[in-house]
Amino acid sequence: MSRPTPPKSSLLATLLDLPKNVWSSIFRNPLPSNDLERSATSFTNFFLHIHPVKVHKNSLRPAYTFGLGLISFFLFVILIVTGILLMFYYVPSTTQAYDRMLDLRGSVAFGTLLRNMHRWSAHGMVAVVFLHLCRVFLTGSYKKPREFNWVVGVILFLLTLFMSFTGYLLPWDQLAFWAITVGTAIAGYAPVIGKDIQFLLMGGTSVGQEALLRFYVLHVAVLPAILTLMIAIHFWRIRKDGGLSRPEDADPKIAIEPMEVAATKASVPEPKKLYGFQGLVRGPLTKVGQVPDNTVFSWPNLFLAELFTFVVTLSAILVLSLLFNAPLEEPVNALHPPNPAKAPWYFLGLQEMVSYSAFWGGIGVPGIFVLLLLGTPYLDRGPKGVGKWFSRDRLLANTIFITFVVANVIFVIIGTFFRGANWAFVTPW
Amino acid sequence: MRLALAIGTFFILVIHGVVFYNQFFHQWERNQHAYFDQARVLAKTDVERSTLASRKPRIEQIVVSNFGETRVDRCTTCHIASDDPRFATYAEPLKAHPYSTTLGDAQKNGKWERRHKFSEFGCTVCHDGQGRGLDPEYSHGKDEYWPEPLLGYTTQENWRKDFAPKLKGKEYMQANCAQCHTEIAFPGTPLVTKGRELFFSSNCYGCHRIEGLSDGTIGPDLSDVGKKWKLDYLWGRIADPKSILATSIMPKFNLKEEDIKALVVFLKSRKGRNFAETEIQRFKVKLTGGAELVQATIKPVHINPAEMVKQGEKLVLDRACTACHKLGDRDGGIAPDLSFEGLLKDGPWIYDHFKNPKSTMPDSIMPAFRFTDDEFKAMTAYLLTLKGTSPAGNGEAIYKALCLRCHGEKGDGRGPIAEHLDPYPRDLTKAGFMNSKPEARLVASIRNGVAGTSMPAWGKLLSEEQAKAVLSHIQTTFTKEARRELKVRPIPEKNPVAMSKESVARGEGIFVERCAGCHGKKGDGKGPNSLDILPKPRNLRNTFFVDSVDDRRLFESIQYGVQGTAMPPWIDYGLTNNDVGDLVNFIRSINQKQQKGGQHAAPVQ
Repeated sequence: MSRPTPPKSSLLATLLDLPKNVWSSIFRNPLPSNDLERSATSFTNFFLHIHPVKVHKNSLRPAYTFGLGLISFFLFVILIVTGILLMFYYVPSTTQAYDRMLDLRGSVAFGTLLRNMHRWSAHGMVAVVFLHLCRVFLTGSYKKPREFNWVVGVILFLLTLFMSFTGYLLPWDQLAFWAITVGTAIAGYAPVIGKDIQFLLMGGTSVGQEALLRFYVLHVAVLPAILTLMIAIHFWRIRKDGGLSRPEDADPKIAIEPMEVAATKASVPEPKKLYGFQGLVRGPLTKVGQVPDNTVFSWPNLFLAELFTFVVTLSAILVLSLLFNAPLEEPVNALHPPNPAKAPWYFLGLQEMVSYSAFWGGIGVPGIFVLLLLGTPYLDRGPKGVGKWFSRDRLLANTIFITFVVANVIFVIIGTFFRGANWAFVTPW
Repeated sequence: MRLALAIGTFFILVIHGVVFYNQFFHQWERNQHAYFDQARVLAKTDVERSTLASRKPRIEQIVVSNFGETRVDRCTTCHIASDDPRFATYAEPLKAHPYSTTLGDAQKNGKWERRHKFSEFGCTVCHDGQGRGLDPEYSHGKDEYWPEPLLGYTTQENWRKDFAPKLKGKEYMQANCAQCHTEIAFPGTPLVTKGRELFFSSNCYGCHRIEGLSDGTIGPDLSDVGKKWKLDYLWGRIADPKSILATSIMPKFNLKEEDIKALVVFLKSRKGRNFAETEIQRFKVKLTGGAELVQATIKPVHINPAEMVKQGEKLVLDRACTACHKLGDRDGGIAPDLSFEGLLKDGPWIYDHFKNPKSTMPDSIMPAFRFTDDEFKAMTAYLLTLKGTSPAGNGEAIYKALCLRCHGEKGDGRGPIAEHLDPYPRDLTKAGFMNSKPEARLVASIRNGVAGTSMPAWGKLLSEEQAKAVLSHIQTTFTKEARRELKVRPIPEKNPVAMSKESVARGEGIFVERCAGCHGKKGDGKGPNSLDILPKPRNLRNTFFVDSVDDRRLFESIQYGVQGTAMPPWIDYGLTNNDVGDLVNFIRSINQKQQKGGQHAAPVQ
C-alpha cells in the first residue's frame, strides 16, 4: 500500500534505455576516443583480448605477411561452420553417403552452396597454409625466439593435409574412393610399419565401410579438436614470442643506461610512468610512451585489417562456390578403377614421385623434407636475416627451401595435368 | 581501407542475394504453378478448383523398394502431370505419360488403367536417370559422371559425336524391360531377343562369358556389362573396338547398324542379377548352364547333303569366321589364312579342330563353337575345297605371299597375327638359331611344317626348289650372317637309357630341379621365368610336337642348347648323357596319350 508505484514515465524511460543498457552491459567500453579507451577496448573484449593493445607497424604491412596466416584461420572458421551444417545431412555409411550427396545437390536448402564452400575452402586452406609456411620461411621468422612456434606451424600444416585427405573420402564417389585407395597405398610404402598404418587407416585391406567410418570420425572429431588446440597454441605463442617477426632496424635503438644511473633515476619519482605487462616480464624494453617505438594501437588499425581480410576471404569463397560446383563423380565401383586413379592434387607430387620409386617418392623424400622443416630452426642458428624477404644473409637456407618447393610444385603440376592413362605422359592440350 | 571494407561487405550481400534467389525460385516450383493454373482451367467442379487453389508447390517423391536397392524418384516433382490424362497433348514437362497396350495398359469403362503404376514402379526402374535430382541437368543424367542417363533420351556431352544420335530412341528401354520380363521371346523386348540371337550367331559367345549363357574366356565377362557401361561405350566397343582400347584384340565384325543396336540393347540388359530371378532359379541355371535358353536361341541350319559345300560356304561367311581368319579379301587379322586349308589339312583334322580346337592344336586360342555336327561337316566340306593357287615368282614373292602374315615383314617373327599364335613364329633374324641348324632341317620345316604349331606343311604347295629359294631369301634378307661349317658333336642317335618307371622318376627329379624355372612344373612352357623370355620356352606337353621330334634332336637341344634362344647348353652344367636320357624318358612319358586326327606333319612323300 505504502510502496510508491513507479511513475509511468519511469517505466517508459527504463524501456527506452533498455537497448542502451543491454549494449553497455555487454560492451563495457564506448567506442574509444582516446588511447586509454583504445587499450581498454582491446583487453576488455573476450574476442579482442587475444590481440596486443599495440601492434608494430611492420606487422601491418600487407606486403610483409600478405595476411596468409589470418586467411588460413578464417578458412578454418568457414570450414567449421559449413562442416557442422553438412554434418546434419551426412551419414557415414557406404550405402547412404552417396545418396546424401545427391540430396545435398538436389533437394537440401543451400546444400550445393554449403558443399561447394566446404570443398573450395578446404582446397584453399591447404594452399594458403602452405603459402603461409613459405612466407615464414622466406622471411626467416622461425629464428629465435620463434623456433617452437615454427614447429607447431609445421605440425599444423601436416594436420591440414590430413584433415583434407580424410574429408576427401566422405562423398563416397569414384573420385573419393580411388584417391583414398592411392593415398593410403602411398602410406603403405613406409618401411616396417607402412602396412600396419595402412591397415589401421582403412580398418581392413581395402577401402570400405570401416575406412569410411574411420575417416569420418577423424575428420569431424579427432582432427578438428587437435587442430583447434594447436591453433590456440600457435596464436598464444605469437604473443609470448613478442608478436610477428620484424627486421632488427625496425625498432629505434634504445641506449640502455648503466645500472647506477638507472638506480639514481629510479629514486626520483617520475610522474605517470606506464609499464606494459609484457615489459615486466621481459626486461629492458619496459618503458612505454617514453621512446619512439613504431607501434600503433590495435584499435582500429589491426582490427580493420583483420576484418578486411575476412571479408575478402569470404567473398572469394562465395564467388568460387557460386561459379564452380564441387565435383561429384559416379558412385563407387570397386571393380572399375578409373585410369589413371589419382590422389588429391596436393598429394599428386608424391604420386608422381612414387611412379619413379615407391619408397623414395612416397616416404623417403617427403620424410626428409618434413624432418628438415621441423629441424630448420635448430639447424639454422644464425641470428641474421630475420624479418626480411629473401634476405642475403639466409641465401643458402632459402635456396634449399625454394628448390624443394619448386620441385614439389613441378611434380604436382606434372601429376595433375600431364599424366594420362597408365600414368603415361600426355599433354593437356 | 574503410571504403574497401564497405564495398567488400556490399559484395557479400549481393552474393547472398543471388544465393537466396537460386534457393527459393526453383524451376520445379514454376512448373508446378503452371500445372495448378492449367488444371484449374480444366477442372469441372468447384471443389476441385478450390483444392487446386490451396495447393502449394512441394517436392513429390515415390519411394520404390520392390526393385533392387531402394530408389527415391522425385521425377514427378517436375513431371507433375504424368498421371493426369487431361494433359496428354501438353508439352514436356507437363505432358501425361502416354498409355499403351504394349505396356499392358488397358481400357476399362472408357478409362485407361496402367499396368505399371507409378506409385509401385516409380520412374527410374524403366527410364534410368537420377531419381533424387531436382535439376533437369542432373536428374536426366546429362552430367558425364552419372552412370545411368535416361535410357534412349539423354546422351552425355563426352559421348562420341557420331555415335550419340544413334543412341536415342525408346527401343533402348527394352533393356530395362528385360530386368523383369526374362522370358525367352518376350514380345515386348524384340531387340533383346534379337541381340541374344546375334550374340550366338555372330559367335560373341565363343570369347565372352555371360552367366547362364556362355563360357568364353578370351574376352571380358559380360554378365554385368550393362551395369558397368553406358550405351556409347557398348556401341563403340562393338562398332570400333580399337577406338576404345588400342590394344583390344576384339575383331571388328561387319554388322549392320540395326544389328549393333540389338546387341547394345541386349548387352545393356545384362546387369548381373535381374529383378525376376530368385536364388533358386539362378542356382538351377548354374547347374544346367542355361541350356534351355541357349537351345531356344541358337537356330541350327538344316544341312542338305547335296548342297553341303554351298551351305558350308554360307555358314563360314555368316558365322563371322573371317572376323579372325583370312579368306580371300576378308581378313580379320587374328588367325591364320584359310585360303590353302583344303590342301594343307585333311577332313578329320578340320572337323576335330572345329569340335575342339585344342585337340589338334594344343595352344590354340580358337574358341570351341556350339554348332551342330552337320554344320561342322558342311563347313569342313567347304574348307576342303579351298586349295589356293601356287604362288609364282622368286623366293621373295613366295615369302610375301605365304610367310609374311606370321613371320612379319622384317622376318622377326612379329607378323600381324603373330601375337595370337602359340608358340610364336620363329624369329628369322636370329643368326644364332638359323645358322646352328643344318640347312636340310630348315627346308624340312618349311616343307613338312612343324607339328603342333601353326606352321603348315608348305611342301604340299611348294616344290623343293621353291622352298630352298624361300630359305635363301630369308638368309640373305633377314639372317644376313653367312652360314658356317657346323661343329660335329657326339650325339647319341637313340636314347641310351631304356624307358622305365625308375628312369622317368629320375628324369622328373632333374626336370623339376633344372628345367621347371622356364618350362614350368607341368612342362607346359609356362614357368615363372617364361614371362621374360622370347621365344617362349617350348610347351613340352604339346604331344604333336614332342612326338615329331626324334631322340637325337632332344639330346642335341638339351646338351648343346638352342642358339638364339634362352635354352643353355646343359652339358656345361654337368648333365651326363644318362641324365638327359632320363629327362627324355620323362618328357616322352608325359606325352603318352596318342591322339588321332589329321596329323598334318606327316612327311611329304
